[in-house]
Amino acid sequence: MLKITLTKDHWKAYCLLVPSLIVFVLFMFWPFIYTIYLSFFDWNMVKPTKEFVGFANYKDILSDPITYKVFGNTIFYIVLLLLINLFVPYIFAFVLDVVLKRFKNFYKGALFLPSVISLVVGSILFTWLLNPVSGPAAIILGWFGIEMPIWSKMDGWVIVVLSVITSWKVFGYNFIVLYASINGVPREVIEAARLDNVPLWKIFIHIILPMSSATGIYVLIITIVQGLQYVFTPIKVITQGGPNYASSNAIYQAYHEAFVLYRTGHSAALSILTMLIFIILLILEFKFVERGIHYEN
Amino acid sequence: MKTNRFASIPWHILFIGLIIILIFPIIFAIGTSFKPLQDAYNNVLNFIPISPTLENYQTFFESLDVVKITFNTFIIAATVTLFKVFTSFLAAYAFVFFHFKGKNILYFVLISTIFIPFSVTMIPNYLVISDLGLADSVWGVILPQLADAVGIFLLRQSMKTIPVSLIEVARLDNLGHARIMKDIVLPLVKPAVTSTGIWFFILSWNEYVWPVLILKTVDNYTLPLALQMYISSEGGTNFTVAMAVAVITMIIPLTLYLLFQRYIIGTFTSSGIK
Repeated sequence: MLKITLTKDHWKAYCLLVPSLIVFVLFMFWPFIYTIYLSFFDWNMVKPTKEFVGFANYKDILSDPITYKVFGNTIFYIVLLLLINLFVPYIFAFVLDVVLKRFKNFYKGALFLPSVISLVVGSILFTWLLNPVSGPAAIILGWFGIEMPIWSKMDGWVIVVLSVITSWKVFGYNFIVLYASINGVPREVIEAARLDNVPLWKIFIHIILPMSSATGIYVLIITIVQGLQYVFTPIKVITQGGPNYASSNAIYQAYHEAFVLYRTGHSAALSILTMLIFIILLILEFKFVERGIHYEN
Repeated sequence: MKTNRFASIPWHILFIGLIIILIFPIIFAIGTSFKPLQDAYNNVLNFIPISPTLENYQTFFESLDVVKITFNTFIIAATVTLFKVFTSFLAAYAFVFFHFKGKNILYFVLISTIFIPFSVTMIPNYLVISDLGLADSVWGVILPQLADAVGIFLLRQSMKTIPVSLIEVARLDNLGHARIMKDIVLPLVKPAVTSTGIWFFILSWNEYVWPVLILKTVDNYTLPLALQMYISSEGGTNFTVAMAVAVITMIIPLTLYLLFQRYIIGTFTSSGIK
């Protein structure tokens, strides 16, 4: 009886969804398809006609050494972002939940704080704090006779610093989400293990990790997908992908191709390749998170 | 349980160290923004201004139309937030209290948009906004952002805690869905609506990637875009002014966070990820 009152008016449900759907269709799904279309054409956003070139854009992209440099950078970014924003906050969240008794709310509140600040602010603060000549970090390192690398001009270092800046913003959010998940693990299980004097690292690996795995995988995926998008901001404001593409990643490079070099076809092809990689991640995400190694509440 | 009162001390030190690393840049920016340039160069490490001055703020206000830029930022953030909360609320209600064909697939598809990288949609969206004559306009920034999968997700999680029978009884009393939403559901999920709204406002206030594509004239800029003008990889010569602009850019999000911290953290900790 009860279900019927709600099921007979399907069309009302669709009406409620229409406002969101219009926005998603016009500004998400259609552009996605149009980008696929553009990836088969030679165009510069200004010319009146687009020339069909088949897979030429993909061939160009895949035979360009810059592409491999950029994808290499992208992987380096992903590794650093995962290390700082998944691995470290996972352990900290575990410790805060299981080991520490005091100051919990203060720690949560303070760690989350940078997440509400613009990454442009973060970029400008760290550009100065880490200024290799006159910034505070350089001065302090100078006391120990260590010379600060001119990171914005050096391969490798530049990616490390831009990842650190991005992590400043991402860490707190990931920490809170992971904390919530660990906090949802039944207390009796943890208490029982502690009564048996099971070492903390074993509790973490054998109880916490499996029982919070759904959230863990969610954070893994958003750290990769959104992390690469977040990195865009420091890249754009500090290095513009330089020196010589050493700090560019897949998303910044797509922007660079489209809005600096005006090669829409190359940009579109690069975006679609990136998207394919993300789709593989997405399938993994839903395979694990939705089917669930373990369902959380 | 083996209790060792001191075992936790190294962890406390680690936590406090981490917090200092995260918070120090903010304190440093605030302090430096009140220093004269010379003082800032000479006493880099002492972030407390010896003779506080407002000249950096003054320089910023004299060089740019700060009121207009702040107003642009506010209009974008407020409009985007109102629409996102409204469209997400309607969609979440449909997903929680209706059974309809294709519900799970549709939900899956909508949530998947969280994972679509920005680069895949930027060219077509840029072209559409230009064709509509909205390039270099705040409305061009606003238009593509009137709905959000994260909002649907967060509000759905919150509405799922409402017993369906409550809605069914209201339906049996011939209450319309509009009335049910306004008088029953909204009051019950108000904390989630508030914190989702504040979160959207903060995100939009800080937004950089999309506005930087659309807004060209300095008068149409938002605060993060104005701030970007003060950055160069060398740190800039005018970094005390840059710090003042940074402080102005972050003051609203920081205030909102400090006021609504409990709500915001509560929503992320109680929503659960599924």
